[in-house]
Amino acid sequence: MTVDLAHYLAVSGIIFGIGVAIALSKRNVVAVLMGIELMLNASNLAFLAFSRFSGAFQDGTEPLAGHTFVVFVLTVAAAEAAVALAMAVLIYRRRETVDLDRISVLRW
Amino acid sequence: MLPTDQLFSDYVPVLIASIAGFILVISALIGSRLLAPFSEEREKGTTYECGMLPLRRASTNVGNRFYLYGILFIIFDVEAVFIFPWVLTFVGVGPLAYWTMVTFVAILGLGLAYAWKKGALQWR
Amino acid sequence: MTDLLGNDLNLQYELLGPEIALVITAALVLFADAFRRELKIGQSAIPAISILGLVVALLLSLLWIDENKDFARLVTIDNFTTFFRVLFIAVTVVVIIGSHEYIERRVSHLGEFYSLLLLSTVGAMLMAGARDLLTAYLAIEVMSFSLYILVSLAKSDTRSGEASLKYVLLGGVASAMLLYGLSFLYGVGGSTQYTEIAAALSDGTSTLELPLLLGLALIIAGLGFKASAVPFHMWTPDAYEGAPIPITAYLSATSKAATFALLLRWFAGPLLPAIDSWQWMISVLAVLTMVIGNLVALQQSNIKRLLAYSSIGQVGFMLMAIVTISDQTGSALLLHLSGYIITNLAVFMGVIAFYNRTGREEIVAFRGLAQTNPYLALVITAGLFSLAGMPLLAGFLTKFILFQSVVSGGYTWLVVTALLASTVSLYYYLQVIRQMYMYQPEGDASRWRLSPTGYLATGAMLVGVVWVGVYAAPFYTAADRAIAPLFT
Repeated sequence: MTVDLAHYLAVSGIIFGIGVAIALSKRNVVAVLMGIELMLNASNLAFLAFSRFSGAFQDGTEPLAGHTFVVFVLTVAAAEAAVALAMAVLIYRRRETVDLDRISVLRW
Repeated sequence: MLPTDQLFSDYVPVLIASIAGFILVISALIGSRLLAPFSEEREKGTTYECGMLPLRRASTNVGNRFYLYGILFIIFDVEAVFIFPWVLTFVGVGPLAYWTMVTFVAILGLGLAYAWKKGALQWR
Repeated sequence: MTDLLGNDLNLQYELLGPEIALVITAALVLFADAFRRELKIGQSAIPAISILGLVVALLLSLLWIDENKDFARLVTIDNFTTFFRVLFIAVTVVVIIGSHEYIERRVSHLGEFYSLLLLSTVGAMLMAGARDLLTAYLAIEVMSFSLYILVSLAKSDTRSGEASLKYVLLGGVASAMLLYGLSFLYGVGGSTQYTEIAAALSDGTSTLELPLLLGLALIIAGLGFKASAVPFHMWTPDAYEGAPIPITAYLSATSKAATFALLLRWFAGPLLPAIDSWQWMISVLAVLTMVIGNLVALQQSNIKRLLAYSSIGQVGFMLMAIVTISDQTGSALLLHLSGYIITNLAVFMGVIAFYNRTGREEIVAFRGLAQTNPYLALVITAGLFSLAGMPLLAGFLTKFILFQSVVSGGYTWLVVTALLASTVSLYYYLQVIRQMYMYQPEGDASRWRLSPTGYLATGAMLVGVVWVGVYAAPFYTAADRAIAPLFT
């Protein structure tokens, strides 16, 4: 059995699906954030797989755009976690909860 | 691509190690269950068998001060990811790469200075 | 300087002059505020520095009119970029002038506020100029992250933090979807460069139909969120209500325009060869957006929420231009976008001036404004009528040109829906106007005046609304010249 592009894409699709499910169903801010991180990392896996299995990679003429993308996405994900956690702390100080069902002055 | 049997033969040591690990852990657990003496006293269940009694549950919330440190740490930690590829390539690219990284680190330094000035590094 | 493949990289840093100037200003503002006590500078110095930096950036961006260059194959500097640079800088200047009193009184963390405002302007400018998926993605995130924090900065308002949290979480999900879509686009196109994706898509890619379709759906969902198109609009009313009003104005202007700049660049460039796959998706989105946005607006009682839903409705009209994309609809969209921004800013500057005086934002609070401050009532009325599309005002002319270009693009049924939705919108705009003119003021009925900067901002926007409505020729030429580089 050879592991090729389709296998990587399947794994990344599964991870992305789990991420979406977590992000949309969990009511805790931190859990939703974890779901978002899973989604971002599924994209990273897809980028790397596409970059590695492109025809140009075999010829050595691939400019590694997919690999570069992953590095930047990692930092964006960290920044995203930082901003969202800061918001969660802000809310927690005022309300003593991070449960999204109880944060409901505004009606979605 | 590797032939199938070779692909799997590479993983045989991993398989053996994990089976051996399971057997060792399980036999240790069963052994202690069979051999060790057990007493059913009330002190046995407390956090410290000798010493002061615990005041409240251990699973309280972590102070949200820790989050600030966590946030600062993760930002500066992840920025290091740009430095590793740079180390491998900057000789080939030349002075431009050097000055780019100097600018990048300077911006990070400015961020640190800002956090410091705002008192984010002080434990209150 | 060449890249790995031997392409020449043009590293003229002057090309990025406006962005660099704004980033430096943002850092200056941040540190001037942090060290305010040591440097002995007053509060008003901070908006002054910001305006100065914005003016410098404006002049620097005017240097590149009629040029067509790229910076290191990452950012294009052509008339399209220049158009949006000028637009975004102008919006930020107006927002700062019109609302610095509001900001001083009701926003916590002054330095952070102005510096994030400048940084999000930089992100928006790069969104319009990007010619590589990576640049575009990072620009989107720079703008969005700044806005997430800006939304949370309203002082002593519990709605603010909550709105921001919802905006961050939903925005995170949306940008992760966008990113996953981009990874498929990269897989299908084999590159992150717009030009190379366009080339790869146009020379027959029938084997990759499914990933392309999936990627397009995810990209449209992600961008639909940023543009607040139905059904991805849930965050809009909450974020608009919870944010400080200047940020609400800014969200409805820059964040929306930047998303449309990106949509134009993508759907007229790398994604144009796949038009059959996405045309129906966008037209469904456009219909849903204009119908639902305008219908839900009918039952709002808070002026910020009302304007949020009205802006959702407007997005539906603008999406029609993406469906029938061509140089004609493109320039009509640019014209409508600038008219909409001027109009919306007129309304918001009026609402900010009103809030400074009364501290209230319900629609019933506007009762009798025509008696207590006839000038302000006139500004808000002109803005609302223009949003509804009344003749002689910006909204009528730009909407007319937009609808006409969509009809000539062959989508008459879309325009019929848009006209119906537009009629509905007149009703809720008139509700606000009725409160101002038909009722007696409650409580304090004495006349009051705006501050000088309040007069400056509202007056400039009022003149703008009438000017675009009566004599739009210069704007039309500018839009025409801006869209030309996309279709050559």
